[in-house]
Amino acid sequence: MLPFPIGLKLGLPVTEQIIFAVKKAVVVGQLKPGEKFPSVRVLSQELRISPNTAHKAIASLVDEGVLVATPAIGTVVAPHEAGDRKDCAHLLGPEVERLVVEAKNLGIEREDMQAAVAAHWEKLEAPGRQSSHK
Amino acid sequence: MNAIEIHNLTRRFGRTDAVVDLSLSVPTGGIFALLGPNGAGKTTTIKILMNLISPTSGRASVLGVDSTRIGPKERAQIGYVAENQDLPLWMSVRQLLDYCRPFYPSWDRDLERALLVQFDLPEDRKLKNLSRGMLMKVALMSALSYRPKLLVLDEPFSGLDPLVRDEFVQGILEASEFGNWTVFISSHDIEEVERLADHVGVIDGGRTKLNESAESLLMRFRRIEVNLQGRTPLLEKMPAEWLAIDRVGTRVMFVDSRYSEGTAEALFQRHFPDAVVTSLPMTLREISLTIFRSGRKTPKGITL
Repeated sequence: MLPFPIGLKLGLPVTEQIIFAVKKAVVVGQLKPGEKFPSVRVLSQELRISPNTAHKAIASLVDEGVLVATPAIGTVVAPHEAGDRKDCAHLLGPEVERLVVEAKNLGIEREDMQAAVAAHWEKLEAPGRQSSHK
Repeated sequence: MNAIEIHNLTRRFGRTDAVVDLSLSVPTGGIFALLGPNGAGKTTTIKILMNLISPTSGRASVLGVDSTRIGPKERAQIGYVAENQDLPLWMSVRQLLDYCRPFYPSWDRDLERALLVQFDLPEDRKLKNLSRGMLMKVALMSALSYRPKLLVLDEPFSGLDPLVRDEFVQGILEASEFGNWTVFISSHDIEEVERLADHVGVIDGGRTKLNESAESLLMRFRRIEVNLQGRTPLLEKMPAEWLAIDRVGTRVMFVDSRYSEGTAEALFQRHFPDAVVTSLPMTLREISLTIFRSGRKTPKGITL
């Protein structure tokens, strides 16, 4: 079994779906810093995806600093660094823009969108889940 | 070097064109899926690649060797499981492996044993007493024990129930731990291979329709829905990349085959000023169906 929840959907690139699922699991604390991450082999067999795809997903996560490759152990979840807040916000730029565009397209009010974001935020920080944010 | 290269391949049977001007390239390493409906020319293509039949024109190469020159030496580097592969059902698993082994100088006893363990196959059991899934794994392991550079599976999923298919897919992935052969799978069942394949070739009517990485396909195809909201669309010079254009009431729908997040918005705005445009990702199956349909019908005049 994989240490993070993922339900692959058809129609979206598999690598992106894995990257998102892993980031989410890190944020909600399901994957803890230092925890061993599944190998290419395990990821490929569990998700029934090509080893190439599994390798690509792990390489991207290492590139983005979500995972760290350690020689003898394999990849582990990176220590969670708060980093520069502006830098972090900058990373989400395209996603935020997309959200705003979609919301405007659908005619959703700004307040309603903000409320929806807040609701999701709370859902991820709900008690019982260890938040990695301080 | 690509594992397989096909250039302008044509094969005629009497008056029937089974394969027409087909070109495909299969990169080395990874999993390639050859997709197309029944009668698209998949098996003919594979038979040419295996030099079981010769092309009418054009050429193909497998592992760098022209397909018409493929003989026993080259076949020893190709693992091939045919559709409805006949196995001698009266033999036991062990007897079958003993029978196959001498044909292949590169047969690897250690790999054979490792696969037997990995696939959990009972050596002494007669093939006729094995489940369908186990039989497929026996066929798979006898095609892999000589460490081929290329594994060719012709319609491996047809006639298998979902559980057995999944078991077989797992077998293919488990086996890939032991060697880095290129996997070439033909299938009419697109959903079965959507997640599995790195690269896809889609053929229809013997012709190449698509040949690229699965990821790039999923990125560049989007189902677009436009809500005109009383605005007048610009109907001239609709991009040729927009397929299957249709209009229902105040909504225009089409498939954008060259979607890119950066440029799509401006293009949509030009043709549908101030309209609400939504774009939805498509599955490989939906993409293929769009391609098959747009190839069949002469595009009818769209009255918008």
